[in-house]
Amino acid sequence: MTLAFKFFQIVGEMSQLVRQIWSEVRRKPLYLQLIVEQVLQIGIKSFPLIMIVVGCVGMVMALQFGVSLEKFGGKMYVPKIVSLSIIRELGPVLAGLMMAARVGAGITSEIGSMKVTEQIDAIRALGTSPIKKIIIPRVVGSLIALPILSVMANTVGVYGGLFIGYADLGLDPQFYFQKMISTITVSDYLSGLGKSFFFAFFISVPACYYGLKVTGGTRGVGKATTRSVVTACILIIMSDYFLTKLFLTLEHWISG
Amino acid sequence: MNVIDIKNFKKSFGKKEVHRNVSFSVQEGECVGLIGGSGAGKSVLLRSLIGLEKPDSGEVFVEGENVAPYTEDQLIEIRKKVAYVFQNGALFDSMTVYENLAYPLREHTQLREEQISKRIHDLLDEFGLTANDHVYPADLSGGMQKRVGLARSIIINPKVVLYDEPTAGLDPFNTVKIQEMILRLKRKGTTSILVTHDMPTAFAVCDRIYLLKNGMVGAEGTIHDLKKDPEGLLSQFISGQGV
Ligand SMILES: Nc1ncnc2c1ncn2[C@@H]1O[C@H](COP(=O)(O)OP(=O)(O)OP(=O)(O)O)[C@@H](O)[C@H]1O
Ligand SMILES: [Mg+2]
Repeated sequence: MTLAFKFFQIVGEMSQLVRQIWSEVRRKPLYLQLIVEQVLQIGIKSFPLIMIVVGCVGMVMALQFGVSLEKFGGKMYVPKIVSLSIIRELGPVLAGLMMAARVGAGITSEIGSMKVTEQIDAIRALGTSPIKKIIIPRVVGSLIALPILSVMANTVGVYGGLFIGYADLGLDPQFYFQKMISTITVSDYLSGLGKSFFFAFFISVPACYYGLKVTGGTRGVGKATTRSVVTACILIIMSDYFLTKLFLTLEHWISG
Repeated sequence: MNVIDIKNFKKSFGKKEVHRNVSFSVQEGECVGLIGGSGAGKSVLLRSLIGLEKPDSGEVFVEGENVAPYTEDQLIEIRKKVAYVFQNGALFDSMTVYENLAYPLREHTQLREEQISKRIHDLLDEFGLTANDHVYPADLSGGMQKRVGLARSIIINPKVVLYDEPTAGLDPFNTVKIQEMILRLKRKGTTSILVTHDMPTAFAVCDRIYLLKNGMVGAEGTIHDLKKDPEGLLSQFISGQGV
């Protein structure tokens, strides 16, 4: 099997899965409780990791920009640059990448283990749908959890920058905060947030897909987990460019 | 009436032709054994009865309905009538024994929680699993897991039960327990198909036996015939002479 053929096969099968999800999500029963459980689990699992990473990146950025801009007397631009890049780019992207590593991997290995121990077949044999019971709660759960996590990550990242701005660069927190507020627009915020929906989709769908495809026992689960994380990370990074373009165009178009 | 009727069943995986042409039937209340060498395609055949696997061609009748072309949605009703007992229980490991047993009841009945609880505890007693309701499957022995799996499959009173090697890997004590449960269900009128390598169990519970060989039904006979004719093909397979 050539590489190109395999690629298109995977894309085709994933679209098939998305179609199934779409057709079943609109029909009863929708297991709301399972979705809520997933939102909480996904949130709790990835919260610390995402906050630490984005917080630290905010701090590092403030430091880097502060030191390099100081030479040109541009230290007061730090609040603007740091908060804009966190909110438009780094908050959502890093939250997505961390969630892929933490939650995407977890989803694939969990579904994969269920597949090899025939639990997925058991769900079907008992007259219920694995799409409804397993896949939809995880996909919808991710779609709800990641935007919320991104909002929190943005806040932590921005305050990380503010802290370094104060502690290392000697910027007045009040000034920093005001600069930040006056810079960031609603559309900046929505653009970042909009991306995180797409990222959640790019994490959860491949994660479920590779989990369901597992064959060959526990070794297969390991392989599938790696593939799922790699796929999600690539999709996040690649789509980020196009999403940025898309949102810039939209903003341009809306503001006339 | 035949509850199960398989006609000209054909199935290949890639180039590998597993079923060339299989036909057999099971009558109401009967327990039929399905034996054959490893890889003969017994599990695939059993799985296709509830649509977990699709034949390449041929018909699979369950109570007169050909389920082979059914979609997952259409299969739900079939799966409520026909229970499948997985080889290793296939219990949901994120749920307790109680939750596992409650699953089919909550999905397919309107029972209230007290009624569900009573049904589960009755069944656990019957299966010798009293006081294991809040244990997770991972903390049960293999034999217990199989019994819980069996209990979960039959908790909504299916008409037909399909057993995939229910006694494989069990000690004599657990084997006898499972045999007793199969017999108890049979006395209630349940139709069943038993895939097994365990001949004493087949002799203990089955009325008839089919031998699957080279992708076809190689031999067929009642338990009575088998005992009478030790030279027949089925007897030879059973005594290990001609797989
Ligand atoms: N999903 C699948 N993909 C490819 N080949 C398969 C698949 N499922 C079954 N097979 C092949 O079909 C054949 C029959 O499998 P099956 O599991 O039905 O055998 P069996 O008679 O139940 O054997 P055992 O007694 O060992 O359980 C085997 O050779 C197996 O390799
Ligand atoms: Mg088998």
